[in-house]
Amino acid sequence: MKKAMVKCPKKHVNLFYSVDCEELARNVASHSFDHVTLQSIKWRSFADGFPNIFIENAEELRGQHVAFLASFSSPAHIFEQLSVVYALPRLFVASFTLVLPFFPTGSFERMEEEGDVATAFTLARMLTNIPISRGGPTSLVIYDIHALQERFYFGDEVLPLFETGIPLLKQRLQRLPDAKNVVIAFPDDGAWKRFHKQFDSFRVVVCTKVRDGDKRIVQLKEGDVTGHHVVIVDDLVQSGSTLVECQAILAYQGAAKVSAYVTHGVFPKQSWERFTHKDGASDNAFAHFWITDSCPLTVKAIANKAPFEVLSLAGSIANALQI
Amino acid sequence: MEAPPSFFLSQNRSLTLKPSSPLHSHFLLPNSNNNNNKNRFSSTCEIKSNLRNWSIEHVREMNKDSSIHGNNNSSSSSFSSSLVSVSAATSSEFRTKNAKKVVLFFCDETKSLAQKIASESDSIELRTISWGKFPDGFPNIFIPNAQSIRGQHVAFLASFSSPAVIFEQIPVIYQLPKLFISSFTLVLPFFPTGTSERMEDEGDIATAFTLARLLSNIPISRGGPTSLVTFDIHALQERFYFGDNILPCFESGIPLLKRRLQDLPDSDNISIAFPDDGAWKRFHKQLQHFPTIVCAKVREGDQRIVRIKEGDPSARHVVIVDDLVQSGGTLVECQKVLAAHGAEKISAYVTHGIFPNKSWARFEHDNGGHPESAFTYFWITDSCPLTVKEVTNKPPFEVLSLASSISASLQI
Repeated sequence: MKKAMVKCPKKHVNLFYSVDCEELARNVASHSFDHVTLQSIKWRSFADGFPNIFIENAEELRGQHVAFLASFSSPAHIFEQLSVVYALPRLFVASFTLVLPFFPTGSFERMEEEGDVATAFTLARMLTNIPISRGGPTSLVIYDIHALQERFYFGDEVLPLFETGIPLLKQRLQRLPDAKNVVIAFPDDGAWKRFHKQFDSFRVVVCTKVRDGDKRIVQLKEGDVTGHHVVIVDDLVQSGSTLVECQAILAYQGAAKVSAYVTHGVFPKQSWERFTHKDGASDNAFAHFWITDSCPLTVKAIANKAPFEVLSLAGSIANALQI
Repeated sequence: MEAPPSFFLSQNRSLTLKPSSPLHSHFLLPNSNNNNNKNRFSSTCEIKSNLRNWSIEHVREMNKDSSIHGNNNSSSSSFSSSLVSVSAATSSEFRTKNAKKVVLFFCDETKSLAQKIASESDSIELRTISWGKFPDGFPNIFIPNAQSIRGQHVAFLASFSSPAVIFEQIPVIYQLPKLFISSFTLVLPFFPTGTSERMEDEGDIATAFTLARLLSNIPISRGGPTSLVTFDIHALQERFYFGDNILPCFESGIPLLKRRLQDLPDSDNISIAFPDDGAWKRFHKQLQHFPTIVCAKVREGDQRIVRIKEGDPSARHVVIVDDLVQSGGTLVECQKVLAAHGAEKISAYVTHGIFPNKSWARFEHDNGGHPESAFTYFWITDSCPLTVKEVTNKPPFEVLSLASSISASLQI
């Protein structure tokens, strides 16, 4: 008879968070019964615009597990959060975990020429330099990092934990009335590489961009979608053009319904607007558009706007904090 | 810094400049005829050349009996070679000849200062970076002709005027050292976040330390650790915030002030006032030859008021000196108490004119007779380029440029 592995007792974690992440932090705490205690930070600014930050009850953190939930939604907010992240490990805490659901700047990096400046690498370097605490290197929790190679950007002083939002999507798909009719579509080979292993039990199609003279058009590379509910899966969305092009080709090929899932709804410059259901429109292109709450500013903007639905990472983060 | 050239007395008793100085000049020392006497032999010489005046500071006495291989001409005399050190009368012309060529990059905010720096020296070449933004707001940066900087000395003129711009410049700062350059210098005239830091409680977060940490992690280049040039850092202890992979070079703007004061019509009536002990600690050594006034904040009941701790401003043109100004409250309080004690004119100098929320607007120009409410001069440097844009040509403000000081520091 197999001996059950001894389960470690649950760790009690003190969770700090950036201003944008307050709602997600509360969700994480409520998912964890009493294993996660929310802690607050006084975020103020000096007159010159630089942060004036104070961690309350710092002495009570000694010997405790501590985590920080960050959101680097724009360069302006990185510095104030980084100051906290560099300070917390040194308060005699038992361990430190940085939860950064969305690792930005990754998607545009293409080191094609010497002279390209890799901002993702800069960010990775800044995170690698988080001081170690009594618990050793900082754990760094990131969801669906864009470029798989980015995991090698991090030095030995941090322990990256690469999580994914796909389980949330799968749970949600199971609850659809037409769950048995779902086909997963990947908008390009990159998405296929990232995710196909998690969709072994699903039917899968792959799109591809081909050059047609000056234009690049999307084509269905393989698979048949006629009559199915097709869910396009990708790690993130920016302007949404890729999704729109895919949806067009899938509809053309006979898909009954098209939905989309991205872990990170980056949507710069409100680009989510092109997806909202317009009243009176005869066909709203996407039946469902699922995103997680990795990008809190977007979550606020699309609240209660069909077809958007937010799948929360809170439960997944709560589990990650126990690692 | 270049070592001063050395002189050697060669066997034919001419002085030649070594090793390959362009200032070759020869002259002969007086011949000594008496072989057998222990003649003390010394001379002072002056060499004039096209480029500079040299004077020999030290000539070793030579003992004629010391033996040297003689040739037929000098068998009757002996001398020992002596090393004579010469100090330069002026440095700039010499430096131009032997200066390091430096490629200087800059950001939007620092463009105008960078241009001034480049105009100070032929050996500084300005290069551009293309600064773009992706739609999500993150920087999209490209260094054109990156391969052509290989083997060159490279510098970057940064300005961290707000947290948002820090993240745009850091990727460039982290990337440049890795492009096979021969050395990297980061010029950050104003090191921010230093002022409001007071680690009083465990829980206070030191953002100056965060910034120092970010800078200490600049990768090293073939030239070793990055040099960091900064002016009048606020807290003297901050020099210890930096790790070993960075070489901080702490400069000061005070020499610019001293030169400016010399040009004033009432330059012999200047007194320097320090608004607190901190400013005195930072600057008094550089301003020793001026009469000094030191102010202090004392508590009176609930209030804190400024008093004169030592010195007398009466009938003087008092220049209040500090490293930076924020709201200006400190300067205004000092001004009031100095005027009350009879100061005839009051001016101010700060290296860094931060002036958040346009607080510079409160400073009016004193055209004569109103030292209690207006300033005769208000000098700032161009360390804070955003302020410089706003106060240029607005008396009492006058900008003293760090360009020549920075240009010199790039030669280190």
